[in-house]
Amino acid sequence: MKKAIYVIAILLIIIQFIPADLPAVSTDNPKDLLTSNADIPKDVSMILKNSCYDCHSNETHYPWYSYIAPISFLVSRDTRDGREEFNFSDWESYKKTDKAGILDGISDEVADGEMPMKIYTIIHRNASLSDDEKEIIVNWADEFADGLFE
Amino acid sequence: MKNLFLIGAISALSLSILSFTDGNNNVNTPVEGTDVSFEIPTDVQATIDNSCYGCHNSESKSTKGKAKLNFDKLPTMKTSKQVGKLMKISKVVTNDKMPPEKFLAKYPDHALTEDDAKKLVSWADDLAQKFGGE
Repeated sequence: MKKAIYVIAILLIIIQFIPADLPAVSTDNPKDLLTSNADIPKDVSMILKNSCYDCHSNETHYPWYSYIAPISFLVSRDTRDGREEFNFSDWESYKKTDKAGILDGISDEVADGEMPMKIYTIIHRNASLSDDEKEIIVNWADEFADGLFE
Repeated sequence: MKNLFLIGAISALSLSILSFTDGNNNVNTPVEGTDVSFEIPTDVQATIDNSCYGCHNSESKSTKGKAKLNFDKLPTMKTSKQVGKLMKISKVVTNDKMPPEKFLAKYPDHALTEDDAKKLVSWADDLAQKFGGE
């Protein structure tokens, strides 16, 4: 038993030396959705910042434990995947058709409760969306998408 | 004689107009606000029927499948939604996410062949570009 604890402790120490490569944080994003669209309502922008921007923008807030392996590996992967899926910081560089695809995905997945991901909201309790907040985002995503084609 | 010729010409003309509009009605359903119509070529339609429509229709038992994409509603949706759905079709087919693995394990003959997938994706991409082209 004691031996097992030693082994785990040593392993935990060793994996701290494996780089997690957390995606870089940048707050200077001229093509950002909210920077470029000042008319997006405040309630929408607050929800986006609070519940989506950690993974879907360059403005990730890494909590202290996200620097500790093996949590760091998980955070690194999810942030990378999220930005790759779509990145609000790059919004204005997307084509209109891509924007429509992203907004439709937001609408569907927020309505369905698929996003934000469970593993994220378990820890970031205040990022989980109430039914009212879901409705705000779904309605905004649909209207904003409509606006692209007017 | 002159009259006969005139009658013949008029009826030929009206016939050709009739058949022209008829043909148009069959293929093109113009979408409000755009001059692009939601066309599905026969081969793509056959692919959709075989591999997608079973879950993505109004009567589907798959609530989730129906909510995310309903081929019965797609032709009459707003342009923004149509483009969004077309982009999603292209993406999930390209990434092999659809049809779902579990479904294919049970019904392997509903799988997309490489050729089906290619045609479906290029149809979705092209139509999305037509609707949303900048």
